[in-house]
Amino acid sequence: MNYKDLVWLGYNDLNEKRVRTALTILMIVIGVASIVALISLTEGISASIQSSLSTLGPTSILVSSAKASGFTLADTAQISALPNASTVIPILTGTATILSGSENVSATIIGISPQDLQAAVGGNVSIYEGSTYPDSASPASLIGHSIAFPSSSSGRQNIFIGSAVTALTQSGSRSTQSTIIPVSGILNSSNSLLVPVDTSVIMSMLAAQTLLHRNSFNEILIKAKNTSSVVPLANLIIQIYGSNARVIDTQEIAATAAQIVGSITVLLVVIAGISLMVAAIGIMNVMLMSVMERTHEIGIMKSLGFRNKDVMALFLFQALLVGVIGGILGIVVGAGVSYGLAAAASHASSASPSASSGQSGATVRTGPGGSGGAAAFGGGPSSSSSSGSLTFSPMLSASTIIGALIVAMLVSGAAGLYPAWRASRLEPIEALRTL
Amino acid sequence: MVDYSVRVSNVSKIYRSGDVEVKALQDISFTFKKGYFAAIVGPSGSGKSTLMNILGTIDKPSHGEVYIDGIPTSRMNGDQLADFRSRKLGFVFQAFNLINGLDAEHNAALPLFNMPLSEGERLKKADQLLVRLGLGHRLKQKPTQLSGGEQQRVAVARALVNSPALLLADEPTGNLDSRSGDEVIKLFREISSTGNVTLVMVTHNPDTTKYCDKIIYIKDGKMEKEVTR
Ligand SMILES: Nc1ncnc2c1ncn2[C@@H]1O[C@H](COP(=O)(O)OP(=O)(O)OP(=O)(O)O)[C@@H](O)[C@H]1O
Ligand SMILES: [Mg+2]
Repeated sequence: MNYKDLVWLGYNDLNEKRVRTALTILMIVIGVASIVALISLTEGISASIQSSLSTLGPTSILVSSAKASGFTLADTAQISALPNASTVIPILTGTATILSGSENVSATIIGISPQDLQAAVGGNVSIYEGSTYPDSASPASLIGHSIAFPSSSSGRQNIFIGSAVTALTQSGSRSTQSTIIPVSGILNSSNSLLVPVDTSVIMSMLAAQTLLHRNSFNEILIKAKNTSSVVPLANLIIQIYGSNARVIDTQEIAATAAQIVGSITVLLVVIAGISLMVAAIGIMNVMLMSVMERTHEIGIMKSLGFRNKDVMALFLFQALLVGVIGGILGIVVGAGVSYGLAAAASHASSASPSASSGQSGATVRTGPGGSGGAAAFGGGPSSSSSSGSLTFSPMLSASTIIGALIVAMLVSGAAGLYPAWRASRLEPIEALRTL
Repeated sequence: MVDYSVRVSNVSKIYRSGDVEVKALQDISFTFKKGYFAAIVGPSGSGKSTLMNILGTIDKPSHGEVYIDGIPTSRMNGDQLADFRSRKLGFVFQAFNLINGLDAEHNAALPLFNMPLSEGERLKKADQLLVRLGLGHRLKQKPTQLSGGEQQRVAVARALVNSPALLLADEPTGNLDSRSGDEVIKLFREISSTGNVTLVMVTHNPDTTKYCDKIIYIKDGKMEKEVTR
């Protein structure tokens, strides 16, 4: 059958029943849009996780003490002596409340030697203004971007270099101690997953120990010589410390994150697939209705010489047309939804530091024995995501677009197959008698 | 052996619904030579439309055989019959049977769908016939916007558009005034005079039958008589 006729007849009929056609297309749009949105969002999130991890370096191993006494230089010496350990960085983390003007912000205190800072937080952290802090007992600090520019002052700068902020920490069991912290520099906002850089106050190890009332530290960051030695080295450290420390390596985190994102993706795509299946049933229903309504017309066409396959092609073409239009619109809508959701998510998370300070309250969790068993650097991924460092943009790849279009056409084509077959098999005289 | 365009051999058509049997056609046999202008005449309910549908290969006889150009139609499969209808057959239905979604010219051009012609060429062929039938000002109207007589003329144009070798017309002037009716008959006679088209028409009009080469009279599904001129 003539290709142009097919298009014309098919289009003409769809155009006659615009509302019904629009609703049928809408079913496909919803299914395709949800698949596209879910895939591009989860791909974006996993890419963001991977890039955050990669800033920490693929050879990093983080050892967190599970004991209140923490680590000493004897521990770093022991680890340095292990085969394949190239860099060993002691880190002290804790929490404090930072007072700046009328603001009360819960911050992560990070004590680390300024020479080790770059290696520990990765390459995407940079100084917005000022300079780094001295490696001395002075509490001069680098201030995280969200603390200097709190969302409560709608993004205006609240803390300036050369000024000072007050840090509230707990000494002993009840009493609160305040310490004046000179501001030596302010950091740029960074997208680091493991280190909540934006909500941190970073100072020398000695200063942090004084502030948090300890003479030990609670974390050791180790860089293995190469990626293949990460796992053996991590295993060795686990053997040494047993339940006294938690050992996390980036490769393990990456694998776990990929696994979690992967299973969430599967779940979401299954749900989206169900919506496509519902769409398919809808298309089939509409097409069967259309075949019934057009039985007389099919009789006319057949009596004028349309063959079974011509009638079949006509109905299949209509179904495919619905699939293609629905698929294209679905991709556009899905992309819009995913970018919209990502924008909303980053907006919500950039507005959340006040929420996170509310969550941990005005009291301070540090002090001797207060460091707890945080999952990772400075309280772990959960605290870092709630403190707003998880921003991501959706990833809409060409294969997602093409795949979605193919799926839309397959679904609509499959749904149209049975009605088209039914239409093609009608006997001309029986069809003509049906009105 | 004579070169018959149509040969009907002992055709019967029995409709069954439950226990009730309607013998719409009983043991009908006749032949039309190529180029004949033939008429089928009979009272209402006598089986004329049933016979036309069988000649047009859209219905099958319960018994007997219809040969078209010497080929037994019962041996052709669905696609072969469809192909035959699209190339060689023109059919004016008693009930017009136009497609409501298509305008007059697209309805009239429909039988050309499988021809190696451009859309413009096909519509031009349809338009020429519609103009000839006095519908030049109705080309873009849908059937629901046309009168009964206008619809009938669109149906006539559609039956002629593929230059059929066998033209079947079931009361093609039934809804027309005498002037439009005369125009249709004039057109049919012109087509018939070329000698290439076999024309079979159901009619009640004695003025029309006087031009016919052969007239088949049926009553109650039986052939009453045939008259050859
Ligand atoms: N599908 C059917 N089922 C049962 N009976 C039928 C069917 N079609 C036609 N008949 C019967 O067959 C007989 C012949 O019908 P047909 O339509 O061929 O008559 P006709 O000669 O064309 O009449 P008219 O001049 O009114 O058009 C009628 O008695 C009719 O009731
Ligand atoms: Mg009749």
